[in-house]
Amino acid sequence: MVICIPRFNVYIPKDVSDALNALSQRKDLIPMGGGSDLLVLIRNGIVKADTVLDLWPLRKELAYIKREDGTVRIGALTTVSELCESDLIKDVRYAGLADVCKKFSTPFIRNIATVGGNVGAAHPLSDIALMLLVLNGKVKLLSKNGEREVNIAKFFKGKRRTVRNHDEIIAEVSFTETPHNSSTAFIKFDRRWGHAMGYVLVGAYMQLRDNIIEDVRIAFDSTGNPYPERVWTTEEFLKGKEFSDELIKQALNNVLPKEMKRITDYRASAEYRLDLSKVLLRRALLKIKSRIEGGG
Amino acid sequence: MSELPEYVRIVEEIFDKYKDKEFLYVGKRIQRWDAIEKIKGRVLFTADFAKYYRNAVFVYSVRTKYAHAKIKSIDISEAQRYPGVLRVITAKDIPGVNDVGYVIPDQPLLVSDKARYIGDIVALIVAEDPNVAKEAGELIKVDYEKLPVITDPLQVIDLRTLKEKEHPLIHEERGSDVVAHFKIRKGDVRKAFDEADVVVEGEYSTPFQEHAYMEPEAAIALPEADGGVTIIATTQCPFDVRKAVAKVLGVTQNKVRVIVPAVGGGFGGKEDVANELGAKAALAALMTGRPAVVIHSREESMIGHSKRHPMKAWYRHAAKRDGTLLGVEANIVFDTGAYASLGPFVAWRATVHATGPYRVEAARVDTLSVYTNNVYAGAFRGFGCPQVTFAIESQMDALAEKLGMDPVDLRLKNILREGDRTVHGQLLTRDHGVGLEEAILKAVEASRWHEKRKLFSKQVGTLRKGIGIALLWHGNSIGVEGADYSSATLIINRDGSITFRVGLIDMGQGSQWGMVLIASEILGVPPSYFRVEQPDTAATPDSGPTVASRSTVMGGAAVVNAAYKLRQRLNKVASTLLGCDPDDVEIRAPDVYCRSNPEKKVSWSDVVEQSFWLGIPLQEFGYFRAPPAEWDEETGQGAPYITYTFGAIIAEVTVDLETGGVKVDRMVTAYDIGKVINRVGAELHAEGGAIQGLGYALMEEVVHNKDAYVMNANLSTYYIPTIHDVPDEIIPIFVEAKYRRGPFGAKGLGEPSINGIAPAIVNAVSHATGLRFHSIPLTPEKVYMALKKAGKTLF
Amino acid sequence: MSVIPREEWDKYPDIEITLNVNGKDYKVKVKPYERLLDVLRYKLGFTGVKEGCGRGECGACVVLMDGKLVPSCLVLAVRANGSKVLTVEGLAPEGKLHAIQKALLDTYAVQCGFCFPGVILAIKALLDRNPNPTDEEIKDALSGQLCRCGSYLRFIKAVKLAAQYIREGKEYFDESGARG
Ligand SMILES: Cc1cc2nc3c(=O)[nH]c(=O)nc-3n(C[C@H](O)[C@H](O)[C@H](O)COP(=O)(O)OP(=O)(O)OC[C@H]3O[C@@H](n4cnc5c(N)ncnc54)[C@H](O)[C@@H]3O)c2cc1C
Ligand code: FES
Ligand code: FES
Repeated sequence: MVICIPRFNVYIPKDVSDALNALSQRKDLIPMGGGSDLLVLIRNGIVKADTVLDLWPLRKELAYIKREDGTVRIGALTTVSELCESDLIKDVRYAGLADVCKKFSTPFIRNIATVGGNVGAAHPLSDIALMLLVLNGKVKLLSKNGEREVNIAKFFKGKRRTVRNHDEIIAEVSFTETPHNSSTAFIKFDRRWGHAMGYVLVGAYMQLRDNIIEDVRIAFDSTGNPYPERVWTTEEFLKGKEFSDELIKQALNNVLPKEMKRITDYRASAEYRLDLSKVLLRRALLKIKSRIEGGG
Repeated sequence: MSELPEYVRIVEEIFDKYKDKEFLYVGKRIQRWDAIEKIKGRVLFTADFAKYYRNAVFVYSVRTKYAHAKIKSIDISEAQRYPGVLRVITAKDIPGVNDVGYVIPDQPLLVSDKARYIGDIVALIVAEDPNVAKEAGELIKVDYEKLPVITDPLQVIDLRTLKEKEHPLIHEERGSDVVAHFKIRKGDVRKAFDEADVVVEGEYSTPFQEHAYMEPEAAIALPEADGGVTIIATTQCPFDVRKAVAKVLGVTQNKVRVIVPAVGGGFGGKEDVANELGAKAALAALMTGRPAVVIHSREESMIGHSKRHPMKAWYRHAAKRDGTLLGVEANIVFDTGAYASLGPFVAWRATVHATGPYRVEAARVDTLSVYTNNVYAGAFRGFGCPQVTFAIESQMDALAEKLGMDPVDLRLKNILREGDRTVHGQLLTRDHGVGLEEAILKAVEASRWHEKRKLFSKQVGTLRKGIGIALLWHGNSIGVEGADYSSATLIINRDGSITFRVGLIDMGQGSQWGMVLIASEILGVPPSYFRVEQPDTAATPDSGPTVASRSTVMGGAAVVNAAYKLRQRLNKVASTLLGCDPDDVEIRAPDVYCRSNPEKKVSWSDVVEQSFWLGIPLQEFGYFRAPPAEWDEETGQGAPYITYTFGAIIAEVTVDLETGGVKVDRMVTAYDIGKVINRVGAELHAEGGAIQGLGYALMEEVVHNKDAYVMNANLSTYYIPTIHDVPDEIIPIFVEAKYRRGPFGAKGLGEPSINGIAPAIVNAVSHATGLRFHSIPLTPEKVYMALKKAGKTLF
Repeated sequence: MSVIPREEWDKYPDIEITLNVNGKDYKVKVKPYERLLDVLRYKLGFTGVKEGCGRGECGACVVLMDGKLVPSCLVLAVRANGSKVLTVEGLAPEGKLHAIQKALLDTYAVQCGFCFPGVILAIKALLDRNPNPTDEEIKDALSGQLCRCGSYLRFIKAVKLAAQYIREGKEYFDESGARG
């Protein structure tokens, strides 16, 4: 007896190569990580699934967090909880990921949602994907014919659309360890404090030396396209300058609005979203500065 | 007073007798009867019963594609042929009357010629596998002719002139889309405004609110041999379901039996939709001869059951320089959506309460309820009061500001006290219990109002605190909405255990437990001797609907009657055993003794056993009917309710000036509910009502797009408060201004616990920001935009 | 949702899985699309697991699967194959109450009770890894457990009380003793 999930089949692969084989042979397979996104889309009729390829058995190979050779590698089937319980997020440089952990849905969703699925979801409100953007992350795609790495900034093509080919799976996301005079922050704001989607999401990375912004990367849930993107012009404006409230205000008032188009929907107006983007970005940058300076 | 019915005299007698007594159970913290079973996960809710019916069939509702459309034809042939489909049911298969309207017969169970909102059902598909039923739903072919969609009640009515506008009629059969119009006409309003020193005016709007009870609707129907049906359903009103299903099936009411197991929240939402579910399950069960299960998905629940009416109101208050209210004018429009549901009653209650718990000598109020193509609106905790209370209490603060008065002082100057007349001319006597002043003073003290009001006025920085107050009142039970009766059965079994039956249901509010405590107190038997039987129309008496905060007051009064009569008989039997006067008999089960000589003792079971031998019946049926309400349709004068609950809410908030975000830090809720019967229940209500009211104030809103589709029909986009959103502290205070015709002086609290929350919070936000707000939910965006307009933001 | 042509009617074969629920092993046949929630509720009768939304939004359906709190409405039954599941029914032995349950009674938190099975398991998941949580940690742990009756403030008190009971070595209580 089942209530209201449309019917579909499930293919349960033995391992990665079995999964890749299956994908190369069958056009009807849809990969599923945790299913926290996919199963809801199937329920809503947004995704019509004939057969779901259950990637969970691949956790044997693809659930890990490794830090070696100056690179952080996270297996695609690592759950958000595993990421949140890892030592990685205790590193002040990745405090932005710790921010995500506080705001990412609820504990039980974090226990099934995977890092790869968050990237695969290609949704504006994908918290981890947003942070990977500011960490200059890469997505590793595997197929029967080999592997390729795509910069995450080039990974999304549209809402729920990515450059992943049908026969590929997301195997890993990775980023280069960032310098010690850097840190990150993530802010999500909505009218509900617990379990919220966010009117606006902002993630930022900044590297400071003697109060000079050596490097900065900023991403929002949306800047016009229905997926998270960076605000390159604002970043360029800030780079190399001395960090000051005045500078940030200039960036927010004169630069950011030129490269950000916000939408009005039933949740919020474009005007509010834009103003909120400014407020939250300022807060994020101040937070990072205080983190770098040891303020937590 | 000699014409008073016996059942009223008994309640008064008990009230007088217990007035100054120490209570054993009433007003004490006593664990609910079902707490352990619920905590162990053993209690069954309606959908849980499906596990017992292996040969059950499932019913899927195929809903309309358009919110407003003529239906030219419905072709079910393909769906009928889909493998696994047992039956497709459309309007023409209904043996009785195709209507589940609550107050007026305007709502077909299955639509056949017109769809009026997106929840309208065109066909039911019955299959063994619910997925099959849903898939087959895709094959139902409906030929629609789309009609213009109306989503704003002000497309139907003009707020200032109250004239119906030219618009495509939603209910042509009625000739008008105005469902109801209620009025108050009192004193010389024009003179009041002419003579006023100050006038404040404002337009207010409130949203559709979704009940979002955690248990979605469900019903299971079992066919009976005689053509009747037994229905297990999650409903607040088993007897209304019985009536509605009998009508749809075309059978007499005694052929329909409705059983209500544990209910996972109701808040007013499980009234009429249960009629729909019961009828759907019953039709399927009778047509297939098998148990039929209907379980609404959350998405279906959100588009398919009644909501809180949105309100648009225009208010004007006139006052003297010293703050004395001179007059109130109000135009109030309620959007009742596609069907009336309980809309007319909601509008009536709103009208009665439309000027607040104040002395008002001159008033003109017009309340209209109109149809739109939105999801239909009906009963929801507060029933029209939260909407008007938001407007009135916002007006009172605006008035205080204009007069330069403290909001508490302004209110104290105008509130209703014993000996005053309400705006309807109803004299409030000592017997009614009027404890509003005491509630205000206690709330002011507990919240440290004066100190904080001053302190918070001097803040700088991004985060600003504010403190705000709102008052409320709430007429008890249903007034002129219908026959206001209740009944209860007490059966003392041969082993001394007691069976308790009432037709009022428990949806978590625990009022049955309050009734048991009343019986315990009168009989002298601890609550642990009682078993609360689930409401079942075949066994429990009709006690009217479980609505309008009437359970404790009305059900309790019926219980007083039953317990009183049993106690008299028991005292007689005991007196023969003990040899003392019946009035001298003290029952403290398991002991029964003479008060004058406690050494003389027999046991409870002896008394019970002896009664059986003596042929003294130990079951009793208690009945109570509220004195009829009075209401003049043209002037709104009379005595609309038996009595009123009063309250004062004080909220403390922190506002983030950069984002507009509001966090409620603390709330004090002081209620005059007469005698507190079920203390735990009362405290939980104060907390639960405050949290639901917080949602109403800050985040909750069902949004329809221009085609009248609901944009947020799930729980991740329709926000209700989470544990992160609640205040650190909710301090419940109870004032006991007793109502002489309530059990031990009790009044109701179920609904009023939400009435004053939103305005208290919004007034606190006004205090923090220095700006007034006219619409809820007060989202960060609304706060922010107002600040921006006032030049108070960062950028 | 798509319509399935008649000839493909049998395309969803039953799959046999094994589950250990509350310490007992079960073999059940499930459909590939079937949710753990439905198997627990309707095939095995564990109706302490509730369905409030079916979309991961309310927390009513959560169970502990191999010690982790998961929404059983978003876990396919086939994925639960071979796992150990704990539902509220298995939290305490017959006739006993777990400290969490006792604490919820002691704080008079029960209203409709529909959210309780989920709340109880979420508290269990919290206390299993954090025996002495702060208010903020409690709120984080329960952030997905919607309670429309509004018992939230009592949940916070109850978690602390339960933690204290457990620290004092009182993990189980007699059910009869708790009946008031
Ligand atoms: C109630 C609720 C709340 C949520 N809250 C948040 C939130 O706060 N923040 C947030 O970011 N998200 C949120 N989400 C969305 C979702 O949980 C996340 O995006 C999650 O990370 C998805 O991971 P998953 O493993 O469950 O993905 P799945 O649902 O399994 O998959 C998502 C998509 O990615 C594809 N995919 C998954 N894994 C792979 C892979 N390894 N290779 C190729 N393709 C793959 C799937 O085909 C699918 O298209 C929420 C979801 C729910 C139900
Ligand atoms: S039913 Fe699974 S989270 Fe609501
Ligand atoms: S007690 Fe009713 S939802 Fe929590």
